[in-house]
Amino acid sequence: MIALLRLAVFGFIAMSVAYFAMRIYFRSTRREELEKEWDAQNAGANADTGTDGAETPERDAYIEAGMKDYEGSLRRKLIWLVYVIPSILIFVLIYLTNYS
Amino acid sequence: MRYVKWTIWALLALFVVGFFHYTLPQHDVVRVVNTYQERQDLQDWTRIFWASPDDQATGLINRDVQFIQTVRANGKPMVYRNEDTGWSWPPYFKFDTANLQTEADDLKSTAEAPKWAVVTHYGWRNELISIFPNAVAIKPVAGPDVRIVPWVNIIILTALALVLFMIRRMWLQFRERVVDPAMDDAADAWDRVDAQADEARDRARGLWGRFAGWLGTWRGKPRR
Repeated sequence: MIALLRLAVFGFIAMSVAYFAMRIYFRSTRREELEKEWDAQNAGANADTGTDGAETPERDAYIEAGMKDYEGSLRRKLIWLVYVIPSILIFVLIYLTNYS
Repeated sequence: MRYVKWTIWALLALFVVGFFHYTLPQHDVVRVVNTYQERQDLQDWTRIFWASPDDQATGLINRDVQFIQTVRANGKPMVYRNEDTGWSWPPYFKFDTANLQTEADDLKSTAEAPKWAVVTHYGWRNELISIFPNAVAIKPVAGPDVRIVPWVNIIILTALALVLFMIRRMWLQFRERVVDPAMDDAADAWDRVDAQADEARDRARGLWGRFAGWLGTWRGKPRR
């Protein structure tokens, strides 16, 4: 049973690393998307004040609101699959190797 | 230097390819001839090519191992060991060694009336250091020329390629969003320091220095 424990511990560590890396990555891509959305919608709108594409308070608010939506979204929750899929895969493998 | 670089890359590639060639499943079409069990001494470096059962005492240096003797479709012999991988590496999660041995026994046949079977296995056969591939599954097939598509390998290697691609994407994103802005900040800070130094030097140069600089502009020298 030591080997099972070892698998569980190292598997959990590996999955956690993957989970946090993906969480950070997808949060970052979402933020970038929001920034580009805002810049595209407001392109030229503030050309006279010279704040086109600059970090105005409105732009920050828009991005923060978008990020808040993202935090509760299904897309973010799907990252949990990083834990689910490998675990299911192990059960499938055990079945296929030994009982089929 | 170039040769050193290429040697290192070649060794690395050899190691990676070798690792996958050893670990990923392969299929042989064989005819089972016999099975046997033999006590194996496992105290030298070739220990790494044998399973490490969980319940084996650490001090134990030999144990019985089951083997499956076969003749391949091309007439050459191949002997497989039959050992549990259990929960350890490689992750085949094989616990049915005894069942597999029974199935192999059931498929025993002679050259005159051959019963062909596909053996799924991983590992290498090497006569010199007495190592054997580990049989994972055995399944009867119609004839010696069945076509086998290595689906498992296709899936595993594709998944691995996706993971590597994802890691690359993550790294590029990290560089774009975190490393580059930090570098820009550092560059800006350095520019500010540089500008302050210039100003300080101008002030230190005094009246005469500025006059000399002004004189220099008449001779086409840029004022510093």
